[in-house]
Amino acid sequence: MTVGPMLDEWYPVGIFGQLDEAGRKTMLMDEPIVVARDGNGDAKVTDSSGRILPVRVRYGHVWTSLGEPKKELFAIPEADQPGRRFVDVGVVRVRCSPLRAVENFLDIAHFPFVHTDILGAEPHTEVQAYKVEIREDVDEVWATQVQFYQPQAAKSASGGITTQYMYRVAGPTSTVLYKTCPPRPSEWDVITLFVQPLAEDLCDVWPWMALFDDDTPMTDLIHFQQTIFLQDRSILENQVPRLLPLDPGMEMPTRADLTSVAYRRWLKRHNYTYGAQLVAQ
Amino acid sequence: MPSGTASSWVPVALSSDLPSGTVMPARIPAGPLALWRSQSGHVAASADRCPHRGMSLSHGFVRGETLSCIYHGWSYGQAGNCLRIPAHPGLTPPEAIRTVTHPVAEADGVIWIAVGEPAGTPPALAGLVPLRSLAAFAGIAAIEAAAGTRANAAGLLEAEDIRLLLSSAREGETLIHVLVEADASPAARIAAARAAEGLRRKAEDFQKKGAAR
Amino acid sequence: MMKLYDYILSPSCYKVRLMAALTGVKLDLRAVDFHPGLEHRGPELLALNPAGSIPILEDGDLLLTESSAMLVYLAAKAAPGWLAGSDAEEAARVQQWLSFSGRLTASLGGARLHEMLLRPGDIGVLQSQGIAALRELELGLVEQAERGKRFLAADRPTVADIACFPYVALAPDGGVSLDPYPAIRLWSRALRSLKGFIEMPGIHRLHELKPEPQLEAGGA
Repeated sequence: MTVGPMLDEWYPVGIFGQLDEAGRKTMLMDEPIVVARDGNGDAKVTDSSGRILPVRVRYGHVWTSLGEPKKELFAIPEADQPGRRFVDVGVVRVRCSPLRAVENFLDIAHFPFVHTDILGAEPHTEVQAYKVEIREDVDEVWATQVQFYQPQAAKSASGGITTQYMYRVAGPTSTVLYKTCPPRPSEWDVITLFVQPLAEDLCDVWPWMALFDDDTPMTDLIHFQQTIFLQDRSILENQVPRLLPLDPGMEMPTRADLTSVAYRRWLKRHNYTYGAQLVAQ
Repeated sequence: MPSGTASSWVPVALSSDLPSGTVMPARIPAGPLALWRSQSGHVAASADRCPHRGMSLSHGFVRGETLSCIYHGWSYGQAGNCLRIPAHPGLTPPEAIRTVTHPVAEADGVIWIAVGEPAGTPPALAGLVPLRSLAAFAGIAAIEAAAGTRANAAGLLEAEDIRLLLSSAREGETLIHVLVEADASPAARIAAARAAEGLRRKAEDFQKKGAAR
Repeated sequence: MMKLYDYILSPSCYKVRLMAALTGVKLDLRAVDFHPGLEHRGPELLALNPAGSIPILEDGDLLLTESSAMLVYLAAKAAPGWLAGSDAEEAARVQQWLSFSGRLTASLGGARLHEMLLRPGDIGVLQSQGIAALRELELGLVEQAERGKRFLAADRPTVADIACFPYVALAPDGGVSLDPYPAIRLWSRALRSLKGFIEMPGIHRLHELKPEPQLEAGGA
């Protein structure tokens, strides 16, 4: 299989703070790579032939590409905002398509059933209408005016609140959500899912957060997000087919799934098909 | 089924392993199933895939007379029709949203799925009752070799010390239902449950050696 | 209050949280950054447990580092019905499965750490040892059912069930299917239906235990 245009995109391959000179042996789209620190303490990524790959260190992680990136790594302005705490949640491996991992992150309708009593609870299952667009200027998928009733929206939340969300697909396997920040109603908490495609049906997931929360211990913040993601993992490993079907007919969306519909359309438009299934099989 | 006939009844589970209000995974040659029993006791079999996002329905839950997907709570009736989409409480789900279902029969403590359009009812077990099911990484031929005798067309294998009902799960895997006399003593039943472990070990050994050749 | 050095994704820590919830004991939870921080291998935790494992349970002068001992301690203090009774056979069965639970940790737990958190290990060996252990547990439960008992050591749940349940329920996290074990499925369901049962990530709520909510069209 050829990787296609996804080859030229940026992907996370490790937490910068945990790198050492011995390096981390891993995979990127079926290609063995090594992520390490060089003698100057900078991140360095090499492929199996010794070729040095492009590197960026942003949002706590090392980013690289097997191809020639046509765009700079996407911006998250909140990453430079004073007063935020930055949380490296740590890697979790999932036996699923990297695109399925992103799509699940864009979904709110599963909250009452998968994240029961944390991000959702029956009978508050209804998904209200929200807005979805592909922003042509930045070439990103955005969903705005998303809201959902949550029993415990964040570690800093006490009791149930209706949480506001915005979702953003910044790259084929990189997604960012902005949600109500309980201690600072005028700001958004930033929670991301950076997905490293190891193979079409296997990925390493690197969640990262930029939060306003001065009180909660760092370990509790990490564990809250690990809890949420591990609840999703058992779903992701049991979807059939493992690859994300891009042709209509194989899976049936409703109004609540408009973000997923736009994401699939955007993937198809760019021929981002690594991890996708194109013909119903 | 060992006979390989196009239409047949496949014994996929024991009645006692599927209480009311529960769902379990099962397998027929056409693929994986979500096998479930409603609160009122009605057994149904659906393809093990929610048409919404492909989630396995055997991970779901049974409330009343419906099977729900664990992912988004979409509920299905025994005929496979979608009855409820919790994200849209006011919506009547369109007819097009449905799962593929299979005819089910329950007799002598065994749940059978019709593959094709079998004539008549599932084979009778003639005085035998099911004890337990276990899965083997072995084809039916390897199990027959381990037992020293062949299964009949219905999948019933009767050796000197053990009776089995065999169901081919997929290539190289067999679901074994252990049968005992209806009046077997508790000690005899436990002995049969243990004997099946030894037979499985032997059959898997044959299978491995066969594969190595 | 008893203090538990705890990791939310650790099945061994979950055993203790679950036992405490089922017996109504309140724990002071101290979150340990096991992943990605490897805090359990740091000086503070090694001073408590040189083996570098969690959970660790502290109660005054008592310091426990083995989860089975913690289950026994919680039960003895708060709910002795979870321990073996005076029957010799029942006492032996409780010990049998408490010891056996260590094999579940080594095999299914090792496979899970490898498949999920990228820890080293021979995954083929871990998974096949896990399958062997699940088969033993399945037979044990089949035999108990023949004796008219729904749980591993008795017709009531004991510490032995809690010691075995978490790594079994989370076997799929390590790529080991639970599909072929009907007796384990029924046992797991019986435990998950107990009053006071709590989940951990990877074990979903049994939504059927609550009735279907009334439709509420038009907003929360």
